[in-house]
This record gives sequence, structure tokens and C-alpha cells, in this order.
Amino acid sequence: MDDDVLTTLKILIIGESGVGKSSLLLRFTDDTFDPEIAATIGVDFKVKTLTVDGNKAKLAIWDTAGQERFRTLTPSYYRGAQGVILVYDVSSRNSFNRLEQWLSELETFSTKQDIVKMLVGNKIDKDKKEVDRNEGLKFARKHQMLFIEASAKTREGVQCAFEELVEKIIQTPGLWESDSQPKGVSLTDTGSAAVNSCAGYCSLV
Amino acid sequence: MLVTSDLQPELSQSSVRTTMAEGGEEESEVFEITDFTTASEWERFVARIEEVINEWKLANLAPGPPLLKGELSTGEWEDRSEVVTFADVRFGMTLHRLKEKQQVQTPGDMEEEDCQPQAIQDLLAMENDFPPRAHCLCRWFGVRSFVVLAPGGHSDSIQSESKASLLLSSISIAVNNTGCSVPVFVQTQQKWRRMYQGVCEGGGLRTNYDMVHLKRIPPQYDHLAGLLDVFKSKIACPLPALPPVTVSVRFTYILSDWTQSAWTQEPPDFDIPYGGNVGGAEFGKLPFGALEDPVSELHLSTTWPCLSEEMIVDNSVYSDLDPLQAPQWSVRVRMTDNPQCLLGDYLSEFVKICHSLESTDQLLGGLVLDDDDKDPSRDVSAALQRLTEPSPLPLPTISDVVSNMKTRTKFRRKEAPIGGELLNMILQFLFPDAALEGFPRAEKPSTEQGGEKQDTAEYKETYRQYKSSPEGSLVYQLALCMCVVNSNHGGLRAVAHLWQEFVLEMRYRWENNYSIPGLPEGSPDMSACLLLQKLQMLNCCIQRKTAREARMKEAANQQASAAAAVQDKPARGSTSAGSDGWDVEDSDEEFFECETEMEMETEENIASNSDADSAQNNTLPKGKVASNSQPSNDRTNMHKSESAVSFKDTVTSQPEGRLKQCGDLCLLDSSEPLYIPITQEPGPMTEDMLEQHAEVLAKLGTSAEGAHLRARMQSACLLSDMEAFKAANPACKLEDFVRWYSPRDWIEEPLTDETGQRVLKGELSPRMRIPGNMWCEVWDSARPVPARKQKRLFDDTKEAEKVLHFLAALRPAQVALQLTPMLVHAAILRVEEEGETSPPALATMLAQIQARASKVLRAPNMDAQKCEDLMELVRQVTLVETVIARARSLRAKFNTEKARSDDGAQELERFVSSLLEQPEVKVIGAGRGPAGTVIHKLFATAQKAAHSFDDDDHSPSEHRAELDSCPDFPRPAGREYILRTTVPRPCPVSRPCPQRMFCTLIKEDFRLAGAFTSDTTFM
Repeated sequence: MDDDVLTTLKILIIGESGVGKSSLLLRFTDDTFDPEIAATIGVDFKVKTLTVDGNKAKLAIWDTAGQERFRTLTPSYYRGAQGVILVYDVSSRNSFNRLEQWLSELETFSTKQDIVKMLVGNKIDKDKKEVDRNEGLKFARKHQMLFIEASAKTREGVQCAFEELVEKIIQTPGLWESDSQPKGVSLTDTGSAAVNSCAGYCSLV
Repeated sequence: MLVTSDLQPELSQSSVRTTMAEGGEEESEVFEITDFTTASEWERFVARIEEVINEWKLANLAPGPPLLKGELSTGEWEDRSEVVTFADVRFGMTLHRLKEKQQVQTPGDMEEEDCQPQAIQDLLAMENDFPPRAHCLCRWFGVRSFVVLAPGGHSDSIQSESKASLLLSSISIAVNNTGCSVPVFVQTQQKWRRMYQGVCEGGGLRTNYDMVHLKRIPPQYDHLAGLLDVFKSKIACPLPALPPVTVSVRFTYILSDWTQSAWTQEPPDFDIPYGGNVGGAEFGKLPFGALEDPVSELHLSTTWPCLSEEMIVDNSVYSDLDPLQAPQWSVRVRMTDNPQCLLGDYLSEFVKICHSLESTDQLLGGLVLDDDDKDPSRDVSAALQRLTEPSPLPLPTISDVVSNMKTRTKFRRKEAPIGGELLNMILQFLFPDAALEGFPRAEKPSTEQGGEKQDTAEYKETYRQYKSSPEGSLVYQLALCMCVVNSNHGGLRAVAHLWQEFVLEMRYRWENNYSIPGLPEGSPDMSACLLLQKLQMLNCCIQRKTAREARMKEAANQQASAAAAVQDKPARGSTSAGSDGWDVEDSDEEFFECETEMEMETEENIASNSDADSAQNNTLPKGKVASNSQPSNDRTNMHKSESAVSFKDTVTSQPEGRLKQCGDLCLLDSSEPLYIPITQEPGPMTEDMLEQHAEVLAKLGTSAEGAHLRARMQSACLLSDMEAFKAANPACKLEDFVRWYSPRDWIEEPLTDETGQRVLKGELSPRMRIPGNMWCEVWDSARPVPARKQKRLFDDTKEAEKVLHFLAALRPAQVALQLTPMLVHAAILRVEEEGETSPPALATMLAQIQARASKVLRAPNMDAQKCEDLMELVRQVTLVETVIARARSLRAKFNTEKARSDDGAQELERFVSSLLEQPEVKVIGAGRGPAGTVIHKLFATAQKAAHSFDDDDHSPSEHRAELDSCPDFPRPAGREYILRTTVPRPCPVSRPCPQRMFCTLIKEDFRLAGAFTSDTTFM
């Protein structure tokens, strides 16, 4: 491993089946597009190092299968993720309508409290558009998410989405630092300051 | 050292005086006649002091506004320090200054020459007499900012008078040269004596601060009259009649004998479990409270703030100063240092064992009997013995004892750390279902414990926050028991013992299909602690095993009855097609459960039966059977796929394992509706398993092969579902499966066919059509097998053994560490429960503890740092416990509950809470208010007890007499007097100058601190 890597981040990609999760990931990691990428079984995994604002972060990205039946299995992998990319297909209203369920599942299974969430509307290269950009924006605002529209095919917005997400994670305190050093005020320290020589509490007897 | 300067102390002293008297122009001359050998060092010393004074901008300061009442204590102080050296002796020069609330005027604004320095003005201010919390100089001289010059090293002290004089003259020069308007003090003698001398000059006045400190109180000065004499003689008033002296007095009384309200903390239930007469419920609670009184003394200060000397008499024979008549009362309490607190003790002892390295065998080695030489007869006799033992518990049932026998008689009972009786109690407490009537003790909703509370979201959040386990769950209770057992019944060995019993019980339950009580239902909850997850996992295994065995039994029964039926009516032949179908299925059931050799056997059965089956089964197309039955000759290399074929042959053309119809979908190649099959549930996982699994998956790397392998590894579930689907929909193809399983991969487009009608034309998505993609591959290899006949995705036997091994392999210290989240959780709940009525400051402390606990307990690693953090956490819990105990103790002493009126009660309550938060609390209404009355009573009772009066004569008259003969208050432990006046000094025509003397009279400490001012203009 590189020594200058600031941290390793775990990132999840979730969303309905066939919205292009694996394609987004492939575009991001290998900068290629394969229209015939097989449907993911269970979870898949890719690694990429990314430099954001001079901070080098190693990303371990977990790509999940979107099929209903796999959902008994995949949520176990949500544990410990610092960021999540929730994908829908702008040409499929249905994939957008299911977002709420994905979020509630995430809520149930993620272990980090302030996990950074990003909503990605994929496949904007398609002519047929069933979900308007504004709807995506509205949904993202409602759920405090980052939002971007992208196309894995034309590469539009893909790199940007990942960078934005990582930047946000790094800016979120307590999300990725190792929590070995306790911060904040210690209870027991409060009393001791006053004890030097005679300056403090000094009673008659 | 100051050796050289010692040679000429007198000279230097006089030279300074000369300087001041004769004025500036002769200064250089003065230095010329001073000691040549020391001049340079001294000069430098003085210059350095001046430098510091200037740096701190202490010259020509304008007086600030008068101090508010109590501001010396409540205001914020700032300190600044510099090091100055005299030759090679280091001094610390420290400025103590009360931060002013208003903006200070800059020195430039105050040009007035005769403006008196603040410190001199403050000598007469009475607003801040007897501050509860202040620097001693502040207390003695009423100063609000001052500089102290003190020897640097701890061993150095200014012992000789000459050295002291030298220093004093040094600061005099410096103060004069700089125009410093802040008093400067020199600390002399041993530090503990707190002897200071100092000087303050400005506005043509000079105040000399001086001090007397003695170990005994001289009898002639043991009262106000004597002190007035000293004061007056020190002033040496040039006037014929001295103006009257104002006196402030404070007497302090100490109460340390709380006769009436002795510490009432219930002793902890150390002995109760031994006695055995209290139910196991005692284990479910952590002890709480201090073992000794956390409040040791009450100091009552009675103050007469401003009296004229003529108004009171206080001499060797008589005193007007009756505490009950004092206009002001204030109280402070002294707390016991680190009182022993139960909860804190228990916790810290428990956290301590997390460090130990001994294994269970090392701890219990000698005690454990070998399993081999276990003599069943002795076990039974032990069981009988247990039955016949006199026991205060409800007599255990035979079944109970016998069931215990297997698991619990491994120790020679006398040597075990936890006695048999006690152990039984603990186990019954942990596993209440074992003691229930009706021996088959499983089949009881496992979430019964913990009750309704589990429903609320908030409740759930609590244990998630600490990554512990739900309150009242088995793991939680175990943690409590472990903690109690560790503290009371033999430490680490007892923990090891109880753990061993616990693990045995787990195994017993696994082997006998009794589900484990007190666990949340379902798959392991990864927001809870690992131990809970492991036990939940075990429970899942037990449940699956139970279900499996029940199915098997049922099947065996059916088979038996079916076989009997067949024997009864052998001639019926083809008419009993339905029952025959069952028959075959049953033998399949056996095949499913059995290991490989059985598998072969059953296959042969099936094969041999197949002819008969096909003959009997009318629904089967004959050609298909014939064509498919061929491969059964060749079963050597791949009997799995081959068995699939034989399934196809014999059974599965009958749809099997249907759950329900999938909407109104129909199969593409037939008009049959599409059925959703019954599928296997994927195996539950605990977080460590998941981690391992994820690690394995991640290790496959990011290459295409890695991804392929990863998909293959995870395709077991897909395969199982496909097989079940094929079984439920005999005429299906992949397209049908995809329509159920991944509907978005079935693309339908409206087309207009040749007849002009619009129809939906569907096809698989391109990615499903990729040749050789994993889905097709798996589909092709899938046989039509209903879920219940498939190979188990989740091997409960293996997983259960893994859990049991994990449990058994834990060292006692690891067990303890695994249990700490629950313990901390419980401790916090306990503190919350106990602290409900406590001072508001506690809320913030609690919040801090919760935040810290959440952080520490959720941190993934279990290393030394974590133990440190845990210890710190325990210290904080102890602190809170102490605070609560103090509050309780004070409440009990002041009897807040029993106050006569509501107002009084409220008043007392307020009083008690301020006692906890403030160093000194004013008693409203002094001796006549509600608190004052209680305090008076407390003192009176203590006095009575001290004079050993009988408590039983309580007639009012006698009581009165008693009171008369014995004062209600003891002799004051400390007396403080402040004497003040304004007198022209040094001669009658001088300006009147403020004079002040502070006197402290304690048993072994007599101190007079005088500040005498004189006019320097005409000296």
C-alpha cells in the first residue's frame, strides 16, 4: 500500500437492477464502457486511488446486485461504509420510485451515522427521459444528499460524482479518522486547574 | 546564594532609604556608595523587576470601579508569570489580577498625581470580606491585583530577616522607580507558612503589608479586645483620640459528627447470595452508592459584617458574638476524598480482569474432571444428593436436576469457585425457562424477557449506541452476573467457572434442541455486540435444526404409515398414484438429510422405483421418461447432476415447492401460471463472518477473473433459487425465471403483429443474452429441485459448532472484554436511574459519559488503548456516582423530605443543590431560616452527644435546661476578624490613611496580617 494514502474509504453503489451501477463503476475505475456487462451476482468489488484536494484516498468500492432476491444478502455489506452512491435510471420512472425503499434499507443496515449519500441519475445519454432533473434535485434535497446526473456511456459526470463524494467524506469530521484519540474535554480535568499554589480555593480551616 | 549580599544588608537597606528621602538627583551617588561587590547583581535584579512591571503595564493605573459583592470569588482571575534572578537564585514573579468587567481606562487618561492606588482604596471596602474562594493575599488584604515575588525552587526559601529586608528594599526601589500602583509582595519563610511582606505606593501614600504568624494563640490576643490593642498600638495614632475601629467578624464552626443522620447506605448484598434466601433477581442489578459517608464535614460560618468596636464586647470572659444572633450564615461542606463507591468498584474490578492472560484451564485446571472418568452413577448420586439437600429454594424438579446433571457436575463441588447452590441460582436466573414446569423447555418466545420496552425506537437506539445488547437480554444479564461474581465470588476464577458453565449450557441446548432464551429473534443483529450475534446465530442453528428434525420425523412417520398401507393393500397398484408420489418424496427427504453413502443407496432406490413410478404416474409423458432414464447406468463420476436427472425422471415433472403465483404471469411456452417457488433462506451471518467473507471477496482482486470468481462464489444462492424455480415451474425457461427474478431484464415492447393487433413482444435484455454469462451458465446447471431437497445453503451443524468453538476458546479476560459493552451500558442506565433527582450539573456529566461510552465501545479494535479508555470511562462513572451519593447524603442530613412546609422543603432542596455546586452557600435567613434551623439542630445534637447526655429525657423543661447547660455550638474552630479604621499617619497633619488588620485565630495557626498606610508627603 502507498504510504501517502490518507485513508481508505468504503463506498457502496446501490439501486434497482439494470440502472447501470456496474457501468458507472467500470467507467470510473477503468474509463471504459461495456454495453454488455453481465448482471452482478451478489456483490462485486473494485479499488481505485483518488486524489481530492491533495488528499490521496484509496477507495474500496462495493458494487451490489439490484435484484430483490439479493437484498437479503447484500445489505450485510453496507456495514462501515462512509459513502453511498444511490443510482437510478433517468429513463425509468420505476427505478426512481424505488429510491425511498433503498434509502430506508440503507438507514437500517449502515453503521456509520453520518454516512455521505449521493444520488446519481444515470443514462442521460438516452433520448427517452422519464425522470426530470428537477425531480432528482428535489429528492436529493429532501434526503440531504449530493446530486448529479451522469452517463456511464458518455462518461459525463461520472468522475465528478466520485470526486465530490470523496471530498465530502473527507470534510465530514469523525467519519473517516481513526478514533483512537479521544477529543473533547475530560470531566476530570476541570477541577485540577485551580490547584496551583494558593490561587484557587483556599479556605480558612 | 545571597552570600555576598548578606555582607552588607544594613548598608543596602539604609542606602535605599536615603535614595527615597533625598530624591532622584542623588541616586547615582547612592549607588556609588553601595556595596561594590554586589551592586551589579542587585542592580540587575532591580532593573529586571522594573522591566517586568513595565511589561505588565502596572504603572500609574487608574482605580477601577468598586467591587461588587463577592466579586473577588466569582470573578475571573488571570495570572502571569516571569522568572527573575538574583545572582544565581531564581525567583518567580507572578501577577494575579481580577479581570475587570468594564473596559479599563488607559493609564494615560489618569494624569492626576494624588490618585490613591486601587489597593489602598480597597482596604476599606467591605463588600468582599471573607471571600469563600480566593488567594490568601486577597483574603487578608482585600487586594484585587497584586504581584508576588517568591523563591523559585521548592527548597529555596527566604529564611533570614536580612534577605527578606533586601528583597523588600529591592521591590521598594522598583515600585518607586516605575510608579507601580499595584502592591508587590515577597514571600518569606517556608512556603507552607504563607508569610508575605509587601508594599504599595502611589498618590503620596504608602502601605506596608506585614504579617505575624504563630503556632499558638497567645492568650492575651485570643479575643477581639486583645486584637484591638495590637491594631491600635501598630497604628500608633498621633491623634489624642483614635477614631472608632470598624470590625467584621466571622466565626466558623465545624460539624463532623452526624449523629442523627448517620450514613444510611444499605450495605451491598455481599452476603445475600451466600445466604441463598434471595432470588436470582439480585444478580440482575448492579450495586450502587458509596460505602462510607461521602460528606465528611460541614463548616458553618457566622458573620457579623460591620460592627463598631464600641458595640460589642468580646474579651477573655465574655462575648457578645453568639452564632445564633449572627446576621449572616454561610455553609460549606467538605467531601470525603474518593469515597469507596460500589458501582465504580465493581466496574473497575471487572475492567481490570480484561488484562489478564490466564486461560480457563490455567485457572480451573485442577478442578475439571476428565470427561472420560466421569462415572454416570456418581453423577446420578450427585443429582440425588442435590435433590435431598435442604434448600431454601423451591425444590427443583427431578427433570430439572437431571438435566442439570449433564452439564453442571464437572467440578468437585467444594473446590469450585462458585458453590453449587449459587451456581444453580445464577443459571436459573439466566435461563428462567429451565426452571419452568413442563420440562421440554424450549418453545417459548425468546423475546419474552425485556418486555414491552423493546418496541420503542429510543430503547433500541440505546443499545446500538453502545454496541451492547438489549436491556434484559441474556447477554446483558450474563454481563451483570459476571460482574457480581467477579467482585464477590472469586474474581477471575469465578468468571472462568461461570463462563464454562455457560458454554456447557449452550452446547446442551444445541444438542437437545432447546432454543436459547432472552435473545432478540432473527438473524444476528450487527448493531449489537459480537457475543449477542454469536448467540443469535446459535439460536438460528437450533431453530433450523429443530425444524429439520421435525420434518424428518414427520416424514419418517408418514413413510412408516405409507409402508404399512402398502403392505396392507399390495394389490391396489396404479390406483394409489397419489400416495406413491408421497412415498418417493419421503425417501428423497431422507436422501437430503443423509450423508453421501446414504445418498447412493437412495438413488438406487429411486432408480429401481422409477419404472413403477412412471407406470403409475399418468401425467407423465412416457417418451420423456424413457429417454431420460438412460443416463442412470453411468453414475460413477458425477452423481450429483446425475441424481438431478433421476429426479427429473421420477418426480419433478410434478410441480413442487410452489409458494404462490407470481402476479398473473404465465409461462412463455405454456399457459401455466408462473409460480414463485419456496426458496432457501440465505444463511445468517455474524459481523466477524461477514468481515472474513468480505475480505475473501476483496482478495480476489479487481481483475475480470477475480470478478468472475467472486460471482461464482456468490452464485450458490442464485443456483438454489433457479433450482427451486425449475421445480415449481416444470415447463419454464430462463426468460420465465428472469421475469420473476430480475424483471428489468425482461424488455417488452409493444408491436403490431401481422393481424394489426398490438401485442407485447418481450425479450431478455442484452446483458442476459451475452453468451456464456453467469446467469445462463447457472441456469443450465440448475436441476429442478425444490428448496427442501436442496443441499443446505446454511449448514447449521457446522455453524453451530463454529459458534460453540468460538465461545469455548475465549479466555476469561476476553469474555470480560466482550461483556464490557453491556456492563457499561448497564452502569449508565443505573446511574441515570439513580440520578433522576440529582443536581442539573449531573445531566451534562452524564451526556459526556454517554458520548464517550458510545465512542469507546463502538471502536472496532480491542487493544490496550481501549482498556485505557474503558478505565477512564469507569472513573467518570465513579465520579458521577460520588456526586449522586453526596447529594443523597446531604438530602438525608437536611431531611429535605420531612420539612414541615412546602416552602421550607423547596428552600432546603435549593440549599442542598447549591451546596453541591458552590464552594460556599449563604443560608437564607441565617439561623432562623429553614436551613438554619436544621443546621442548628444538627450542631445541637452533635453537642449533646459529645457531652453524653441521655437521649431519653425529652420533656420540654429538661430539654431547655439541657440546652442552657450545654451550648448548642461548639467552640468555633476558626475565628476571623477584620479591623479597619482611617487615621492620619505618621503625624497629626498627615492625610487620613486607611488601616486594616486581618486576624485569623485557628487552633494551631495564629496570624495577623496588617496593612498600615502612611502619608509619604511630609515624612
